[in-house]
Amino acid sequence: MTWQLGLYATAILVPLIAFVVQLAAGRRLGHRTAYVATAAIGLSFVLSLVGFVSYFAEVARSRPHHGASPVVWRGDLSWVGLGPSVPGLPASSPGRPLELRLGLDVDNLTVLMFLMVTFVATVVHVFALAYMRGDPRYSRFFAYLSLFCASMLALVASSNLFFVFAAWELVGFCSYLLIGHWHEEIANVDAASKAFLVNRVGDVGMLVGLGLLWANLGTLDIRTINDQIRDGDGQLNVATVEGSSVVELRNPGAVDIATGLPRRIGYGLLVVAGLGLFAGCVGKSAQFPLHVWLPDAMAGPTPVSALIHAATMVAAGVYLVARVFPVFTPEVLLTIAYTGGITLFIAGSIAMVQADFKKVLAYSTVSQLGFMMIALGVGGRSAGLFHLMTHACFKALLFLGAGSVYHAVHTYEMPALGGLYRRMRTTALTMLAATMAISGVPLFSGFYSKDAILASTLHFVMGQPEHILLFLLPAVGAAITAFYMFRLWFLIFAGQPRSPAASRASEGERLLTWPLIALAVPTVALGWPVTILPFFGFEPILERMLEYGEPIESIDPGGVQWWAMGASVLVLSVGFGLGALYYGPWIAWRRLDPKKTAHRFGPIHEFLARKWYFDELYRAVLVAPTLAIARAIGWTDRRAIDGAVDGVAWITERFSRFEGVFDRVAIDRLVGLIARGVYATGDRARWLQNGSLPTYLMVLAVAVVGLFAAMFAWILA
Amino acid sequence: MGTTVIGDDLLLSLLWMVPLGGSFAILLMPGRATTLIRRFALGTTVLTFLLTLVVFASYLSLGPDQSSLASRALISPLGDPKVAAVEGNLAVRNAWIPEFGIEYYLGVDGISLALLLLTSLVAVLACGASMDVEAKAKGYFSLFLLLTSSLMGVFLALDLVLFYVFFEVMLLPMYFLIALWGGERREYAAIKFLLYTLFGSVFILVAILALYFWPGDAPSFLPGGQFKAHTFDVLQLTRAASETGYYGHGIQQWVFALFFIGFCVKLPSFPFHTWLPDAHVEAPTPISMVLAGVLLKIGGYGLIRMAWPLAPAGAHDWAYPVAALGVFSILYGALAAMAQTDFKKLVAYSSISHMGYVTLGMAAMNLAGDHRFYAYGLNGAMYMMIAHGITSTAMFFLVGVIYDRAHTRDLTRLGGLERTMPLYYAASVVIFFGSMGLPGLCGFIAEVFVVLSSFHYSVALGVLAAFAVVLTAGYILWTLRRVFGGRNDSLSLLPDLTRREKAILAPLVVLTVMLGVYPRSLLDWMSPSVDEVAKMVIGAKGNRGNLAKFRPSDAPVLDLQPRDLAEVAEVPR
Repeated sequence: MTWQLGLYATAILVPLIAFVVQLAAGRRLGHRTAYVATAAIGLSFVLSLVGFVSYFAEVARSRPHHGASPVVWRGDLSWVGLGPSVPGLPASSPGRPLELRLGLDVDNLTVLMFLMVTFVATVVHVFALAYMRGDPRYSRFFAYLSLFCASMLALVASSNLFFVFAAWELVGFCSYLLIGHWHEEIANVDAASKAFLVNRVGDVGMLVGLGLLWANLGTLDIRTINDQIRDGDGQLNVATVEGSSVVELRNPGAVDIATGLPRRIGYGLLVVAGLGLFAGCVGKSAQFPLHVWLPDAMAGPTPVSALIHAATMVAAGVYLVARVFPVFTPEVLLTIAYTGGITLFIAGSIAMVQADFKKVLAYSTVSQLGFMMIALGVGGRSAGLFHLMTHACFKALLFLGAGSVYHAVHTYEMPALGGLYRRMRTTALTMLAATMAISGVPLFSGFYSKDAILASTLHFVMGQPEHILLFLLPAVGAAITAFYMFRLWFLIFAGQPRSPAASRASEGERLLTWPLIALAVPTVALGWPVTILPFFGFEPILERMLEYGEPIESIDPGGVQWWAMGASVLVLSVGFGLGALYYGPWIAWRRLDPKKTAHRFGPIHEFLARKWYFDELYRAVLVAPTLAIARAIGWTDRRAIDGAVDGVAWITERFSRFEGVFDRVAIDRLVGLIARGVYATGDRARWLQNGSLPTYLMVLAVAVVGLFAAMFAWILA
Repeated sequence: MGTTVIGDDLLLSLLWMVPLGGSFAILLMPGRATTLIRRFALGTTVLTFLLTLVVFASYLSLGPDQSSLASRALISPLGDPKVAAVEGNLAVRNAWIPEFGIEYYLGVDGISLALLLLTSLVAVLACGASMDVEAKAKGYFSLFLLLTSSLMGVFLALDLVLFYVFFEVMLLPMYFLIALWGGERREYAAIKFLLYTLFGSVFILVAILALYFWPGDAPSFLPGGQFKAHTFDVLQLTRAASETGYYGHGIQQWVFALFFIGFCVKLPSFPFHTWLPDAHVEAPTPISMVLAGVLLKIGGYGLIRMAWPLAPAGAHDWAYPVAALGVFSILYGALAAMAQTDFKKLVAYSSISHMGYVTLGMAAMNLAGDHRFYAYGLNGAMYMMIAHGITSTAMFFLVGVIYDRAHTRDLTRLGGLERTMPLYYAASVVIFFGSMGLPGLCGFIAEVFVVLSSFHYSVALGVLAAFAVVLTAGYILWTLRRVFGGRNDSLSLLPDLTRREKAILAPLVVLTVMLGVYPRSLLDWMSPSVDEVAKMVIGAKGNRGNLAKFRPSDAPVLDLQPRDLAEVAEVPR
């Protein structure tokens, strides 16, 4: 076990310990618990930084190249081992208990995720120190944040899908608690419940995926499955057994103890397992059709939106897809690509018409996550992850900027804003940087990552032209992104103030602005092709770091990159141009009027403004029937089943009552008759028992004689 | 260490005799001395709990090799019931009615010990929750202790007749506790409970008698003697069923079906569950705690101790319908819970849902594949019993707390309590999410183990069981929303938890977290016994198990060689 493993374990445990400390000493420390939380995540950030440097120093020594087995720090211990161990077997035999192992697996992806998560989390903690001040649940808020950080870090470091799932549920739980932070408003609690429930729908798939992998392969260790399910060329180990194709684990140790054959899973089941795991990611990363929870989740405090619902937790789905990439069959990957494509388009189209700028950012997040998914689906693993990293920075910045604006004006309604540039310069400029990054303006980080995604999809489409949609959707989506983001910036910061609150707005304290500046740095620079050994060339260094040790079946777009770049600049111009024409302040004399356009495209505008009616649809098709079934079952239970039980009881009771009557009327009378008869007989026979011996003797003699007479009569007959 | 101070005979017997003695002692007290009676009852339950801890400590000191109850309890030569089990083995064996081979036979292993600990703990907490009982306190506490005594006895008994006696005795105090101290429809609920359970126990009795009267001699399989037909000894019968296929498939199917139906009433499983909502709604809070926390576990205990081990081949033949019934109960209970507006009824239906996991975990036995997956299912089922014992006890107590203050259990009239009662909210979140199966809390381990292992049995059932996580989350979150969300001015002055309520909730909350974070705190000493059952069931003769493949052909089927008596006596304690 390397020291770095201890380092990463500490980085996870520090926020967890901070959480426990905040719970235990909450009453004594009061609001100072917030410093405990902030210090803890700051320490985790420092540790992650050390781990990062140490990791890539080690990589540099080992000369990386595409497809090489990467440097991995891992270690695990037996968490639970169950199963009747058969006596007399050697310790190494498969008859040993079946174990679930708890462990860490740190590779380049984990290292970079740690750095990103702890950095954004630290910044958000600092921001929240000021932003949440005066809140009645101030210390509880930070306690939840600490728990979230620990769970999130555990999620990206776990070596075993079982614990990924556990952490997965925990981040969802923290999200639930934080969305419902202001419990008094029932709408917030509803939003929190909705988020948790929709995620749970995805988790059903995740459980199915876990169950299928576990029951067939006998392990949930990610690296074991990833390494053994494919051979050296990146092909799935497909074999044909009894006419059906199965995928085998190619490891002499992994044999089924019942059959002695390699552990295997049917190809169809592997597809289902892959779809199941992806369903979990669809829920967590708010992809179509489970995207409906994320916009509602904006009911939570804005720092939460920045950290959980923009930068980290919602990216966990993308992370997991990348993590179990080798498990996905081509069918599943195509599903992932199309899901991402549909999501980015739907969410982008909705974002274009929202008036609440936090909602715009929420739909924008959904849309950007769709970009990442489509990249992964077409095999551009590093491109998708690259966008995950850059997006985390600029979207966290956008949300914190939104928080800063809200702090000043106490509204999210864009029609009531405008002209804030002059009053809140830091916020305006940092948000402009983020807007340019997300729109893909060259030299900003988002440009490089979006370009990488477009290149991946273009590469894929060139190989399979029938899937041309997979290039068109992100291209159009990129234009839409530029449009709604510049619309947002113009509406908030440009022009004249449109409300008294906006005209009185002023920049907040330094704790609110410094985090924006801190995030603006990577927002601008994260994609720069700085050349650091051993990552050579003009490609963004971050992407090269992500590419390192990547599964061989992921693609390298190569030469199409320049075409993609051209397309990306083109769509940016279209999106920005439209945004400027509609909402830009400086060409007022001939700008397009959004109201007129909205009027002309009335039904479409309404359709988009109502978010494609997903909520209404789900309520009608899923929620209402479930509740109806629940009510029907409740009724059945009370009326039918209990009715039957009570009916049996009633019949029994009636029967016994009838029997009681029968008893009195018939049996009792019969008994009475018999009794009277017996009495009468006895009465008549009383003279026999008169106490005198001679009488008894006489009766006895008569009886004996009678008996003998009868016997003789029988014998002689 | 307890066993060095007092012998096994006394120690194990005290576990049920102490509460019984307390029950009689209370009868001798003056009826007006309410405080004395309450304190005495509480003291008795605490003493019982401490004694259970002593047993626990001695069990742990036996070490994991001794987890097999059979290897400890069967040491006394068969056919000579006068020889008690070896001292320090946590088994007691004396002749009781020798004419019929009925014995006073007690013993503990991981399974029964887990449930004994649960029972005695819940008894303490429920007794603590009863401290405000005013009316007829003498009768109440006397009956309460009698109930505790019979529950402890049920989990201790290894003789079927003894088990049955404790099982039936338990009905009496429960009936009166509901019928006399219950709510409005208490008489209906009490008689329903009584009749239902009696209905179930008929099946159990027939199964016991069928096993007893089954004629013939099994082949010799014990070094010390011949299997003697006509015994009520659970462990002997288990070995006969498992190792020799003595009863044959046909009879085992019947025996299993009888046991299963009998214990399903107690569990309860659909369609024998409708006594539960009524009993819970009408029972006073502490009795609901015992009812949900412990009484339901008798059903599960009967299944894992009797239905499966005594008829393993029958269990295998019935596995699919039983597993399907388990899945159906999970979904049915969850949906029914969703439809409730009575807080207590909702919790009651959630119990039905959770007990479905117990059935599923036990029934999902795939003999063709790797048998170790079954161990996960079976351990998950046992874990569910303990986890549910903790969370449902707490949930009923939480309902009681709010009922005491708001005088309503109608969920549509509650609300806004997050602000009013923050501590109550915190405890509720832990308990409700623990029940829902949030990772890091106890329900998760149980639920996930059962669901994962069910995929090794049937993908269809696994998928359906996985769907339950949405429904469970649905009714739990909806409940939390209706109790804690929003504003409710009529409830804004309710006081938060009192010191006594905190004291009752604290151990339950701690256990919920501890069993979720570190499941080995339970599994390390419970799972060897559960694995033992899994081994017995899976490897039973008549089942086409694969265990044999990994067994040296000439070695004994199970490593149950009783060691030399002298050697046992030297085991350091």
